[in-house]
Amino acid sequence: MSFLHDYVYYIGAFGLVAIGLLIILVKRNLIKLIIGLSILDTGVNMFLISVGYINRGTAPIFSRPGLEPDGMVDPVPQALVLTAIVIGVAILALALALAVRFYKSYGTLDLRKAKELRW
Amino acid sequence: MVSPVLLLAVPLGLALCVPLVGKVSRRAAGFVPVIATLLNLVLSIRLLPTVLEEPIVANLGGFPPPFAITLFAGPVGMLLSALIALAGLVVSLYALSYIKTGPTVRYHTLYMLLLVGATGVVLTGDVFNLFVFFEILCISSYALVAYVGDRAGIEASVKYLIQGALGSALLLIGIGLLYGLFGTLNMADIAARMGSADPVPVFVAMALIVVGLGVEAAIFPLNAWLPDAHSSAPSSISAILSGIAIQVGLYAVVRMVFTVFGASSMLLFFVFMGLLTLLIGELCAFAQSNIKRMLAYSSIGQIGLIIFAVAIATTDSVTGGLFQMVSHTLGKALLFLAVGYMVYRSGSMEISSLEGMGRRMPLTSFAFTIGAFSLVGLPPFVGFPSKLLIVRSALVGQEVLLQVLIGLVLLATVVEGAYFFRVIQAVYFKKGEGQEARQDAPPMALFSMFVFVVLIVVIGVYPNLITDVLESGASELLERANYIGSVLG
Repeated sequence: MSFLHDYVYYIGAFGLVAIGLLIILVKRNLIKLIIGLSILDTGVNMFLISVGYINRGTAPIFSRPGLEPDGMVDPVPQALVLTAIVIGVAILALALALAVRFYKSYGTLDLRKAKELRW
Repeated sequence: MVSPVLLLAVPLGLALCVPLVGKVSRRAAGFVPVIATLLNLVLSIRLLPTVLEEPIVANLGGFPPPFAITLFAGPVGMLLSALIALAGLVVSLYALSYIKTGPTVRYHTLYMLLLVGATGVVLTGDVFNLFVFFEILCISSYALVAYVGDRAGIEASVKYLIQGALGSALLLIGIGLLYGLFGTLNMADIAARMGSADPVPVFVAMALIVVGLGVEAAIFPLNAWLPDAHSSAPSSISAILSGIAIQVGLYAVVRMVFTVFGASSMLLFFVFMGLLTLLIGELCAFAQSNIKRMLAYSSIGQIGLIIFAVAIATTDSVTGGLFQMVSHTLGKALLFLAVGYMVYRSGSMEISSLEGMGRRMPLTSFAFTIGAFSLVGLPPFVGFPSKLLIVRSALVGQEVLLQVLIGLVLLATVVEGAYFFRVIQAVYFKKGEGQEARQDAPPMALFSMFVFVVLIVVIGVYPNLITDVLESGASELLERANYIGSVLG
């Protein structure tokens, strides 16, 4: 059980990444694809957080006496994830705006119906 | 001394001012990118002599590296930032007359953000900062591809966005792995600790990062989005995407592989990937009947050639690869700008519809021809010295493998010549159906094309103008220890 205890966050993160990848590869509906991208992004963010996490760690703020730096989680990945979330939201918003335009011009969200461009 | 931070801060600030200027006058908004890129060009050229002697390392927030975000302005960074500013300036002049319809104010904002992202990628010395600037570049290019709003543009943009977002997710996982392994995000610091790390996770991180960046750099199996995106975007954006965006992606791959990972054992793999990208790009370009798709595939081919040259990793070949980057930016941007108005006047992107353009638009056709000759590598244009340098660097080592491979590279150049000459033949030697009156591109667009024409000829005749910069750029990429030393002190 100790393996699960140590790595549960990584398993969760990569599980989300795998689910997201699977959705992107299998689904052909644009909205579902965007949902897949969102899940993938969440997985990546969770992975970043778990890189800096220590079991039973506290926030890296000396808020009360007796806190030692050893017991604090690494704040850098959290700062990274804040940035990554913002970027993810930007991509999501753009993707949804494109989905609206896609629906207006094709009358469907099925990517297989879009055949303007060929090799 | 001016700090390289200004190269990013001023255009970023001005980009956010564009909507305000647009409220006052829509026409004035188009001049903001001109001012910003002109400023960047002057700054980059002024900083070039300084960085040739010693790279400038700027620490944001005043913390010493590796704690702060570091900007590293070495010869490669300054060369590329000057190139980005130059191409950005010329294309923004072109856009003054070309971009007339649609939400023009937003176009100019996004265009400037794209350039800021590109400049940031080439100047940064921090892997996460690289990711952030890379995303600024990518997100603005997704939006700009769909600028026209037609079916093809939206489809291309959706494809580009999905593949690009997947690539950035992989890149971010790779960066997370690097942070987990080394506890730092500073490129020089990671590079310094690379020797003591466990090779397996480092390899996984490198694979993820190269694949993630390779989507934007259009390395062979990852480039399905490129022909659609580059052919459906407005021509001014195609020029920037082909001339700047993919090369910035390529620079990021090279910086990661050479400086951060120092993966000299992987270089043969990249030689083959480059060659494969080159051959597939050129052969697909040959099969196209749509002129913008042809140019897009030709960009893939050129990227392959640059990867091939850089991955040989001798001073001469890396110099040749950087030189090829310069000549590709000048040549391909010129071609897209010329084609933009040819397509606009003929109303179709088919090569057959360009017949008789030599008489209808003589100056534009002339500019197109110069660009095509330069890309194929005819003297006295800039493509000739760059290709010559690559071929010579591959032959000088007397290695049989490279000699065989360079034969394939030359074969690809022949294919390239064949499809460009086919277009030139259609433009000059075939009679169009409806003989219409002579109607060239507007003066501002012609002016911007001829800036590129003059540069192509001048650098082609006097390659010594830039070889100093290219050579010190090559040694910057090849000598990791110097890079680490100049950042960490």
